[in-house]
Amino acid sequence: MSEIGIAVAVEARKAAASRVLPWTTGILGIGLAALTGGLLAAAAAGDERVLARLGPLAEAHGWALLVGTAAQILAAGGFGACGILIAWLYGREFADGTVAGLFALPVRRWSLAVGKLLVFLAWAMIVAVGLTVLLAVLGIASGLPASDPDGVSELVRIPVLTLLTAFLAVPAGWVASLARSVLAGIAATIVLLIVAQVCAVLGVGAWVPLVAPALWAIAPETVPWPALLGVLAVPVAFGGAIAFTWARMQLDR
Amino acid sequence: MPEPRVELRGVRREFRGGAGVHGVEMAIAPGEIHALVGLNGAGKTTLMRLMLGMLRPDAGEVLVDGVAIADLPARAWSHVGHLVEQALAYGELDVRDNLRLAARLHGASRSDAMTMADAAIDELDLTRYAAVRTRRLSLGNRQRLGLAAAIQHHPTLLVLDEPTNALDPAGVILLREAILSRAAAGAGVLVSSHHLDEVARIADRISVMNDGRLIGALDSGSIDLERAFFALVHADDVHRRAA
Repeated sequence: MSEIGIAVAVEARKAAASRVLPWTTGILGIGLAALTGGLLAAAAAGDERVLARLGPLAEAHGWALLVGTAAQILAAGGFGACGILIAWLYGREFADGTVAGLFALPVRRWSLAVGKLLVFLAWAMIVAVGLTVLLAVLGIASGLPASDPDGVSELVRIPVLTLLTAFLAVPAGWVASLARSVLAGIAATIVLLIVAQVCAVLGVGAWVPLVAPALWAIAPETVPWPALLGVLAVPVAFGGAIAFTWARMQLDR
Repeated sequence: MPEPRVELRGVRREFRGGAGVHGVEMAIAPGEIHALVGLNGAGKTTLMRLMLGMLRPDAGEVLVDGVAIADLPARAWSHVGHLVEQALAYGELDVRDNLRLAARLHGASRSDAMTMADAAIDELDLTRYAAVRTRRLSLGNRQRLGLAAAIQHHPTLLVLDEPTNALDPAGVILLREAILSRAAAGAGVLVSSHHLDEVARIADRISVMNDGRLIGALDSGSIDLERAFFALVHADDVHRRAA
């Protein structure tokens, strides 16, 4: 097996046995379903505060309303979950004191760092599928037509948004590696979330990678597709930065 | 003359404030057990970190089997085992899984890793704890696990920093036997310890480190090792103060 293959196998085993991964996944799934269901129920009951918060979405109906509402929650909550998970994946080696054991091995540290990133992205893919199925079940359970072709086209935005959100959280892994701290990675996640909110309020979101996926998921026509492609540069650039940081690491602090 | 398993040539690494390692020369031959003793802060752990690539020297070079570690191919590290600071042990995994992962990280195939882990569990007498999550282990058993991970792939260079930490007397005997068997098979072993009597039982050479320098050697056959150790350290301190 190749070096990267061993790294992925080892990191996948560690992640699968951890409590952080299932808890993060569970909280994200349950939180998304509960909040989406609650908001839609409140909107259906004519709650003016909720309708005001939903903005233009309040005019939508059926699957478009469900997916648009879920996308709003997922853009922020999913980013938080992804940021926490990737910060833990890298920062835990320092918190647990296992980092010294990752030196002087035939599997180089940059391979281990890439292995962690691949495990994180694989998790994001599984979560993307899981959340889509969850929202489909929620929609059908709340009476939306199962055979509606528009429902499928609306729901497709959920896995795309989940993956793009995971890509945007990769910088948190870099900060956790650089600072050698899980908390630093989580702090970076919070700061990025605030920056995204500020950009959205200022209306400069469409071409800002941090904001474009959320805007696209809520209102696809407002974001040109090249702007979404720009998001792909984030995991490439910061994945490279993580690999470099781990390759050059010294235990000097 | 066989190539040393590891060799340090004029290695220097200094930290802010002057601590570190200042121009160390050292070589460990195949089959040799070399003990490193010194007071806390003498530079033993820094020296070991330099040997294992955890730190890069400001000057000098470290060679493993005659190759500078900057040029060492990645696969060459599969012949190195170490326990410096904490064990490579993840709390959510049990002892057997931790050992299998450590073996895989040393380049073993999946099936070889299973065999190695089982043999190491047997050697370090961890059978009762094989299926116990590491976070539930006592400090001593966690140390046994770290030692098992370091030796299970039969390295030709073994570096152990204070390996008797937290071990009970039975664990100390198992460790001693494991070190002797690896050395008998041709491994070069560097072991640091505060227990002078313990290292005297197994070491071929005992080097004394003080203030980042190797200042002399102790005769493992000497009756009063402690007195000889403190005499060397005191003489070095006086010499440095006078300089």
